[in-house]
This record gives sequence, C-alpha cells and structure tokens, in this order.
Amino acid sequence: MNKSKLTGWKDVFSFTLIQTVKSKSFIVSFMLFFFISIAAMPVISMINGDSDENVCHIEKVYVNDESQLSPDGFLPTIEDELYGNVSFIQMNEDKDALLERIDKEETTSIVLDITQGVNGFNLSFTKPSNGEITKNETKALGSIVMEEFSEYRLNALGISKDQLDFIHSEVDTTVVSADVNGEEIVDVDTSISDAQYWFIYGILFVVMMITTMSGTQIASSIASDKSTRVVEYLLTSVKPLALMFGKILAMLVAVMGQIIVLIIGLFVSNSVTTSITGGESIIDKYLPSGIVSNLSIINIIICFIVIGLGLLFYATLAGIAGATVSKIEELNEGMTMYTVFVMVGAYVGIAAANMLMSSGENSLVTFALIFPLSSPFLLPGAILIGKVNVGLMAISIALLVLFIIMILRFVAKIYETLIYHNGSTVSFKKLIGMAKDLKKGAK
Amino acid sequence: MSLAIKNVTKKYGEKTVVDNISFEITKPGVYALLGTNGAGKTTTIRIILGMLARDSGEVLWDGKPLDPVKTNVGYLAEERGLYPKYSLLDQLLYFAKLKNVPKKLAMERIKDWSEKLQVNEYVFPSKKGKKAAKANRADQLSKGNQQKIQLMAALISDPKLIILDEPLSGLDPVNTDLFKGIIREEIAKDKFLIMSSHQMPTIEEFCSDITIMNRGKALLQGNLNEIKKGYGRVNLFVKCDLPIDQYINAFELKLVEKTPSQYHLKVSSEEQAMRFLAKLVEDKIPVVKFELREPSLHEIFVEKVGEVHE
Repeated sequence: MNKSKLTGWKDVFSFTLIQTVKSKSFIVSFMLFFFISIAAMPVISMINGDSDENVCHIEKVYVNDESQLSPDGFLPTIEDELYGNVSFIQMNEDKDALLERIDKEETTSIVLDITQGVNGFNLSFTKPSNGEITKNETKALGSIVMEEFSEYRLNALGISKDQLDFIHSEVDTTVVSADVNGEEIVDVDTSISDAQYWFIYGILFVVMMITTMSGTQIASSIASDKSTRVVEYLLTSVKPLALMFGKILAMLVAVMGQIIVLIIGLFVSNSVTTSITGGESIIDKYLPSGIVSNLSIINIIICFIVIGLGLLFYATLAGIAGATVSKIEELNEGMTMYTVFVMVGAYVGIAAANMLMSSGENSLVTFALIFPLSSPFLLPGAILIGKVNVGLMAISIALLVLFIIMILRFVAKIYETLIYHNGSTVSFKKLIGMAKDLKKGAK
Repeated sequence: MSLAIKNVTKKYGEKTVVDNISFEITKPGVYALLGTNGAGKTTTIRIILGMLARDSGEVLWDGKPLDPVKTNVGYLAEERGLYPKYSLLDQLLYFAKLKNVPKKLAMERIKDWSEKLQVNEYVFPSKKGKKAAKANRADQLSKGNQQKIQLMAALISDPKLIILDEPLSGLDPVNTDLFKGIIREEIAKDKFLIMSSHQMPTIEEFCSDITIMNRGKALLQGNLNEIKKGYGRVNLFVKCDLPIDQYINAFELKLVEKTPSQYHLKVSSEEQAMRFLAKLVEDKIPVVKFELREPSLHEIFVEKVGEVHE
C-alpha cells in the first residue's frame, strides 16, 4: 500500500462531507438529535419530579397509630433540613371527616396510618388529591419516618441500637490459599460497582451506536456510488483505496459531529434545567463523581484514540460490505457480515462488563479488553474507571492497529475487483478467494 | 506522444476476457475499438485506464506505464453515472478538483461547455432556493442531457487522451450532431481519442485505425482505408431503366440486394465489373448509375465476426 494509492482522498473527503451535511436526511436527523438532547433533561426532570425534590409542602402529619407498641403512640421528631419543620399530631377525630377536610381545606396535611399485620407493620400515607404535595415528597418523608419507626420499635422492646447492630453483624468465611513457599496469596477484590457497570455499559452503547450509524452510512454511500456508476468516472482520477478512505473519514466525521452535538446538547440541557429547577444536576445524579476514578487528560486522549481506531476498523469493514453489493436494495444483505461483527464485539464487551461486576478481573475480561472486535466498546469505559493497566492498554491499541493494517491491506487487494463487481452479493468466502487470486500476480 | 497497448491479457478465473490485445496510436486522431456485445472492448478500456488489473501485458503512454491518476485522461463511460441527488455544478467542480483543475478555471470551462452543450439552464438554474436545488440535480435531467454533463466531466480537464465508450448511444439526431461537432473539435486540437461504438458509419466518419474484437481477441486490426483496399472494390451498385436479371445470371454475379431503385451486386474483380458494363452498353441498356465500391465497415465487421461464429 503506497502513498499514491491514497492520492486524492482529501478531495473525496471534503466533497463527501459537504454533500452529506447538505443532504436532507442529515439535516433532519441532526435537528432531531439536537431536539432530543435539548429536551432530554427537562423531560427526565419532569418524569422524576426533580423540580419538587428540594421543596417540602407538607406542614402537618396526622398519625393514626394502631400498633399498640406504646401507650403514647408513635410521634416522631425528625432532624432533617427539609422535613424538620413537619409537625406530627395524634389523630383524635373521625378519619373520614379528617380526610375530607385535608382534601378540601388543609391541603398541606397528610394522614399516616400505622397498623400491625401477620407479617409485620404497615405505614400508610394518605395525601390530599388537591394541593401541592407530591407523591415523591410524601415517599421521601415516608422513608425518613420508616427509619424513625424502626428505632421506635426497638425502644418499645427495650433494645438499644448498638445491641441490634451487634446481633446483625456479619459473619464472614474466608479461604486463604498459600504459594509454594507457604506465603499467603491475597485475592484482591477487583469487581466493579453497579454504577461503574452502567458507566461502562453507557459508553459501550454510545460507541456501538456511532459504529452502527457510521457503518450504515459508509456502506450505503459506497453502494450508491456503485449503483449509480459514478465510481466508473471517479476511478479515472483516484485509486479505489483513496476513494474508500476519503468516504470513510467523511462519514465518520459527519456521524461524530452529530454525536458531539448530542452530547453538548445534553450538557447544555442539564445545565439549564438545573439552574431553572434549582435541584441537583441530573447528570450528577446518574453519574456519581466517584465512578470515574481514573479521569485524566491522557486517559481521555487514549479513550478517543481507541474509539477512533475502533471506528476506523469497523468503518473499513462497512466499506467492504458496501462494495460487495451492486444495487442499493441489496445493501441489507451485504451488511449481514458487518452486523455480525458489531454484535459479536458488543456482546463480548457486555459479557466482560457483567463478569467484571460479578467476579472481577479474569481471563474473559482480559480477552475482551484486547480483542479488536470488542476492545473499542469496552476499553474506553474500563480505562476511565481505572480497570486497565498501561500494559494492557498498549497491547489492546497495538492489536487494533495491527488488525486495521491487515484489513486495509486486504481491502487494497480486493477493492478494485469488488468495485466493478456486478451481480449478486459477494460472500465472505468469495472475498477470500478474490484476495488469493489477486495474490497470484495481476498487475 | 503515443499510446501503446502491448499483449494485454485479462482473465476472470478460467475465462479469458481480453486475450493478448496489442495496438498503438502514434499520432493524434481517433482509434476505434469495435466488437459485439461482450467482446471485451470495455474491459480493454478499463485496463488502459488502470481501473482493472491486467494479468499480463503493458499499457504505455509516451513510452512509460500509463497511470490515469497522474496522466490527464478524459473518460466517458458506457454506463453513465452521476450522483442523482447532488447539484450538477457541485459534481462538475468535484470532478474537476479530482483532476487538479483550479476552481476558477473549472468554473470558466463549465460555463463554456454548458453553453456549447446547451445545458446552461440546468447547471446554472435561474430559480432560487428549493426550486433551484431540485432543478439542478441529475435525476431531473433527460438521458441525453445527463450524457452531456458526463461529456463535460470527461473534457473538463482538457485531457490529451480521451476515451469515449459508446458516446452517441441513446442520443437524438440533433444531439448526435452536437456530440460529433465536439469530437471534431477535439480531433482538431490534436487529441488522442479511443472510441468504442456499434455505430459503423460514425466510426467510418471519424476513425483512421481500428481493432475489431470478438470474444476477447483481435480479429482484424489496422488502418481502415488499407483494410478496405485489401478487400478491393467488389461492391457494384447498378441502376438501369430496364431489367438486367438475365445479364446478372449470364455473368454469374452474386445478387446481394435488389431494391426498386437499384441492384447491389458482388463482383469477383474490377475487370469483371467492367466487362459487365461493356455488355450493358453494347446491348444499349440505359444505365443510370454504375458505382463500384469497397466494402463498408459494416460489411467487413459482419463478415469477420460472422466467420468466427460460423
């Protein structure tokens, strides 16, 4: 693969990028992504009722304690910034009349019924159907009251909290193995938390989405050049490899642009929503700061390199897929091989992330981190949470580069023949056959 | 300058689609590649253009291997192709850029060619906004107009070597004349042209040298006039006011075709034709037309290809 085979790729790149960005489908999808990203945070905030999270509209709680745990009944005193001013009053009137009153007049009050059943106690809150009190704030108050009630139960039985903690303290069994010298081999817990798993999964999903989107567009663009016969003219000016390289990069940039806008839109939306509602940032809520323990500029750059190499790897596969078909209608058939590769890569990545969560680092996780099909999906998230050492990172990137070189050399061999192929979709077996035939010495 | 194709062979698996083809163009003009469908003309052209790898042989431009990416070559493909949804002007500028033509020069040439080929209204639509965006797309053009845009793309870099694969197919008579005029202009500019066509009169009109291909092989090659001379003047066209069937039988001439206006006969030699004319004159048969001609390219083609198929 010499330099002259890539001459002209920049012209192909700029034309393809400009035409793609100008196309109606791109503009529509771009606007759609932008709208979704901008609307996402307010919608999440509305669904979760986050705007009411830091406001308490409850002023009074009427307690109807039928538990008979103490003669005075349960009247908690809450030490909480938000709910500390809520007053608890024993219910001394007819319940139905009270419910009617809070529903019509006293809309800042709720009723708490405490009952004892066969299986334990039940705390039931009734809020007025009108007024500003939300389900979420009632639930939040409920969980505080529940803790108070647990303590109240212990006090009723004469058991202190320390005594209870002692009873409930865990009893662990540990099996320690020893090496040949009799030294203890320490098994370090390398498993990841649920939040870390979802962080890896989130990055994996985004990379898979970009890979699929860009792959489809690249294959479709190449198949379209073939079906419209433009390729015949283009090849008098540029070599097939330059044509494919320019197209791949243009499509990748276009799709990356969409994704970057999506991400920027999400952050802007989050920031605006947070400042309007005055509540906790939605991103911070779902992405606790402790997860990303290995965040540094170098690691972020490495993540981008891995993602970039992965996209290039899959994009080249998509380029071959596009060239195997002669008509745009056959593109789905041609994309089968590509889809299988993406699925295998993504599922190996997901399986490894699961394994990492349940039992920590093992050989499957190591394999998934260096396997070129799965590493672009798994590695970025794993790097950021600090689960990949420098050696593994280097091996993974080296293997990815090696595979890309191999696949580009393969493409350089078969692409010329493939681009003129006219007829049914070329199978994987035929592709290998083509490469072998060409190796025999065509000039 | 010269173009030399030396012993070029191309195989697809066991099938040889171009079999040891050689020819040379040493001076400007039009060289014709003729053949039936599937004879290997387009494959030969693609090999010349370096689009297809050859199994053996050489393609030399000025004595050096021809690299179309480095050499300025214009190509009008048999299977025409334009981006259906993109603006025509954008496409033409893109094709020019790929041929390293500066944008300003490309714009000038596009304007000139648009006027010459009468497609100005499509390349530079007067409408504004969305209507313009739609009006100047390839999928809004007729086949003939698309072909004109393709010709513009082929000639935009003012190439020295021009390859035209079936340039006149599908054109109406007016546009055929327009294209012929442009081909003549390019010949006048001392360009090297290779033309593939099924239209024999067009080939006879423009080409000095030819190769007739069949099943990948060269059946007949050389200067068209020399080839015709080799066949001799054996086509006799006679028109008389009286029937001459008995004379035709007496001289044992082969009747090719009899129409109400004339007889088309095949003679074995010019001498036989002269004896036949002398007899008609001697018997006072009023001869209106007596024309002795070499065979047409069409006849040579049919004869040569027919021989192989028999």
